[in-house]
Parts: sequence; structure tokens; C-alpha cells
Amino acid sequence: MTEPLVRFHEVKKRYGSAFAVKSLDLDIQRGEFVALMGPSGCGKTTTLRMLAGLEQPTSGTITINGKVMNDVPAHQRDTPLVWQSLALFPFLSVVENVEFGLRMRGIDTADRRERALKWLDRMGLAGFEARRIDQLSGGQRQRVALARSLVTEPEMLLLDEPLSALDAHLVIRMQGVLTKLQRELGITFVYVTHSQSEAFAMADRVVIMGQGEIEQIGNPREIFRAPKTRFVAEFVGRNNILAGPVSGGVMTTAQGPVPVATADGPAQIVVAADTVSLSRDRPAQGPAIQAAFLSEEFAGTVIICYLEAADGTEFKAQVTEAQLSALQPEPGQPFWLTWDASRVHVMKA
Amino acid sequence: MKAGDILGRVYLGALFCFVFAPIAASFVFSFNSDRFPTLPLGHFTTDWYVRAFSRPELWQAIGNSIAVAAMTALLSTFIGFATAYTDFRYGFRFKPAYLALALLPPTMPLVILGLAMLAWLSQLGLSGTRVGIVIAHTVLATPFAMAICRLRLSQMDPTLEAAAWNLGAGQWTAMRYVILPFCAPAIVSALCLTAAVSFDEFIVAWFVSGLNRTVPVMILEILQGNVDPQINAIGTVVFLTSMSLVIAAQFLIFRRRHHD
Repeated sequence: MTEPLVRFHEVKKRYGSAFAVKSLDLDIQRGEFVALMGPSGCGKTTTLRMLAGLEQPTSGTITINGKVMNDVPAHQRDTPLVWQSLALFPFLSVVENVEFGLRMRGIDTADRRERALKWLDRMGLAGFEARRIDQLSGGQRQRVALARSLVTEPEMLLLDEPLSALDAHLVIRMQGVLTKLQRELGITFVYVTHSQSEAFAMADRVVIMGQGEIEQIGNPREIFRAPKTRFVAEFVGRNNILAGPVSGGVMTTAQGPVPVATADGPAQIVVAADTVSLSRDRPAQGPAIQAAFLSEEFAGTVIICYLEAADGTEFKAQVTEAQLSALQPEPGQPFWLTWDASRVHVMKA
Repeated sequence: MKAGDILGRVYLGALFCFVFAPIAASFVFSFNSDRFPTLPLGHFTTDWYVRAFSRPELWQAIGNSIAVAAMTALLSTFIGFATAYTDFRYGFRFKPAYLALALLPPTMPLVILGLAMLAWLSQLGLSGTRVGIVIAHTVLATPFAMAICRLRLSQMDPTLEAAAWNLGAGQWTAMRYVILPFCAPAIVSALCLTAAVSFDEFIVAWFVSGLNRTVPVMILEILQGNVDPQINAIGTVVFLTSMSLVIAAQFLIFRRRHHD
């Protein structure tokens, strides 16, 4: 295995007595699209800022290309960042924004202008070079920000929730632009987001962070179908989690006994909402849990039903519109939840 | 609601009359041929201007005022910007105290400030010199410059500076290529306003100016001798100068804010 482009080794970041990052070990390979995902305050942005040199780790080392970067100031690193706010310079024209990085590197005027124009052209912004930033649409600004970061031809690009300010339809388009760019350039993208759809749509590898620690690293499919921890199962997707001791293939949960194909001892299982079906009568076989209907949520082509078991645990079931109209659920009405026991994912307790 | 609206407008009108009537009167009588400000008016004349501006000591005072205002503007804008930037960029333990101290001078009674300045500048051997007046005026004007720069910095996305570092600019380069261009309208505005503060200022200047009289100090001296419409002429010129500076300052602040 070749040397990774970036290595975080036991990196900790503390603000006063609070840990933003508790202990981070992470390798990022050349040409990889990595997403750091987690809820706000999980340390993902701090991790990115440490990589860019905008924050110093309290302890541990960050290595880029085999060189320890801890004491290298931000402006001497080649780690351009696309900011959540984009941070375009309002007093400069579009092309002056794009060539800023080259100007700081002392590239002469004619050369940097040519390279900046080439990038604007590539981003579909030819003819916009003399505009002011406030004369551009959100999507155009986004592309100016990308051009500004890529004009120096870096080995990696850092992105901090760059799509969070865009309209939904633009987000999908920009996701396409970003993945295509990354493939074409063959450089490393490190993408911070709290959005599961963005991370799963683009990344080769997703790093799930929670409270300053890595919870799981894997490709989107692994993380979605085989969450390692309860945190990941709850954060990713619409999952139901059941826990309890298993004995003889039956798990004793707070909602009643459930057949599980795992060894004896304490366990947790993840039942994805899209594998759950609802019925009024107790199903003849298979696992079954009773819960009262709470509400429904339209999620495009499917509907998510929320139910509450007798002990207060919330369950989610994904149904189609036809199934919902057949069930005619009323709030408070009891239903039976069942699922295919073979499609359950077992986690360590 | 409607009635209150009208009442509000009337009140505003009255307020403007109250503030501007004396200035307007001074303006009108500066062109009036009569020796004393009485109605009905005499005929139109620019005689008082000609007489006032043929006094060599007035030109000397104007020279003093302009030199002092220019130096004060540069110095207080520099200090004001630096103070505002420190506040913008750094968090530190005694920041509220630091800010309170920076904003303190306008709350001091001018007589006390003037007297204190006189005592202190005499100790330094600077009382009665232009440098002494510049020091005193800089103390007075800096908080205004700081307030304007702070307002502008508060409109800045704090990530702009970090973005500049990220793109290869060191601290000073980022200051030069990002912070200063962003603050340029505020800086020019602060220069105008602090120049106006100095150009107008009378009390402190009266204490510390000695023989290097500025225009407002000279006006008082003429006034002490006799009531002369030359005062109106000089006053009108001073008023127009200050107003131009203040309006320029306001224009720069508001035009920019509108754009952003």
C-alpha cells in the first residue's frame, strides 16, 4: 500500500476543557473522495480546519505527503478550502477572485490572468470575468469559489459544507459537477457535511464522526446497511434499533420477544424502516412488535410512518401510498410491525 | 397612526428649524450690508468675506486648522482602525475594559479634557504648538474613527481573512489585499469625519493652541473684540467645510452598505 496523502495520528483538539476532537486516526489516500459527516459539533469542521492549518492540534501529528505539518502556517500549505459562506472577496471582480491564489504565489499578471480565465471557462463562466460577485447567482458563485480554489492545481481540495446555502435542485446539479471534477482531476477531495444524501451521493469513503471521535469509516453502502454503532444507526438513514439479551435465538426487548439469528448474549439489531411492514392483525409468523400510530411524513415517492411502542420507543416504517391508503391509520391506533428477519443487521451491544 | 405620523413630521421639522435657524441666520447676515443683524435686511454684499479673508491672521489660522485637521485625521484614523481591527480579530480577557477605554474620550467634559491636556502638554513642552493640538484632537477624534471602522468590520464575513491565508497570503499580505480594500470606504470616511471633528473643535483647541490659533479660536477672539459680520462670513465657511467632510463621510458609509 502506498503512503497516504494525509495521515492524522492521535490528533486531539481541545478548547479550554472541552474536546472538539478527542483522538483522531485517519488516513486519506491520493485521489480519494472522502466525506466527513456528523451532526453539528462533532468535530468534522475542526478536523478540516486543522488540515488547512487554520487550527493547531493540541496534540498528535498531521502529515501531508509524509511531512509533519503541525508547525506549517496556513498560507504555506497547499490546501485550498471551499468555504460554507464561499468567502469570495466582494471588492474584487470574478477573475480577480480566481487569480488571488496565483497572485499570492507571485505569478506574473499575464500568466495568472490566462490561468484564471481558463478555469472560469472550464466552470462554464466564460464572459463573467469582469462581473462583481454580487452580480452572480448562487450557483455561479459556487463555481467561482471552486475555480478560485483549484486554480493553483492543488493535490487536494477541502470543502466545508459548500452546498448548504443552495436550493435543493442546485444541490443535485452541483453534486454532479463536484464528482465529475474530482474524477477528471484525480485529486483528493475532503468534504465536510452533515447531509447524508450529499455524502452518500459523492464520496468513495464516508467517515462518520460523533462528539469528536470517528464512529465508523466505510463506503456508503457499508455505512447504510451495516452501521457499527448505535450512533451511526441513528444518525444514518431511517433505522429502528432493538436491544436486549439474546438467548436461544430470541432477543428479549422492551417491546417483547423478537427472533434474532445471533449468538446468546447482549445484542442490538438494526431494522431499516424500508424493511418494516405494517398490519392491523398480528402476522402469522416472523418477528412482530406492536406500536401505536403517531404520524406520517411524505418523503417523495414513499411515506414514513412514525409509531410508538408501549414503552415509548419510536419506530419508523416506510410504506407506499397504496399501502397507506389500505391501512387508513388513525393516531393512537395499534399496528403490528414485522420484518424479514434475514435482512436485520446485528450490532455489538 | 396617521395623526401621530403628522405630529412626528412636525416635530422633526421643528427640530431641524431649531438646530439650523441660527446657522441659516449667520449665513444670511454674512451677505447683508448692515453692520448689525437686524430686519429688514440691507442689500446684498460680499464685503464681509473680502474683509475677513484679507486678514493675514485669518489665513494663518486657516493654515493651522488645515495642518492640524490633516494630521489628526491621519493619526486618529490609523489608531482607530488598529483598535477596531484588534477588537475584530482577537478575543482577550479585558476586552470590555479595552473597548470602554477606547470609547471614553467623548464622554469627558471638554473643559476638563482641555485643562488636563494643557497641564500635560506643558509638562512635555508641547503646549501652544501644532503638535500639541494634534495630540489633543487625536484623543478626541480616534473614537469616531474606531466606531466607523468597527461598523465596517462587523459587516465583513470573518472567513474572508482566513480565506486569504488559505490561498497563500500571510498575515500582512492578507491585511493589505483583503482587510484594507474591504475597509477602504470606512477608512476614507473616518479620515473625513476626524478631519471635521478637528476643524470644528474649539474648547480643547482654545486651551492648548496658544499663539497657533485655529479658526474657531480666532473666531472667539474677534468676537471678544466686537460684534462684526465678518464672524458670519468666517462661520459660514467653517460650517460649509465641516459639513462637506461629514456628508462625504456619511455618503461613503451608506453607499457601501447599500451595495453589500
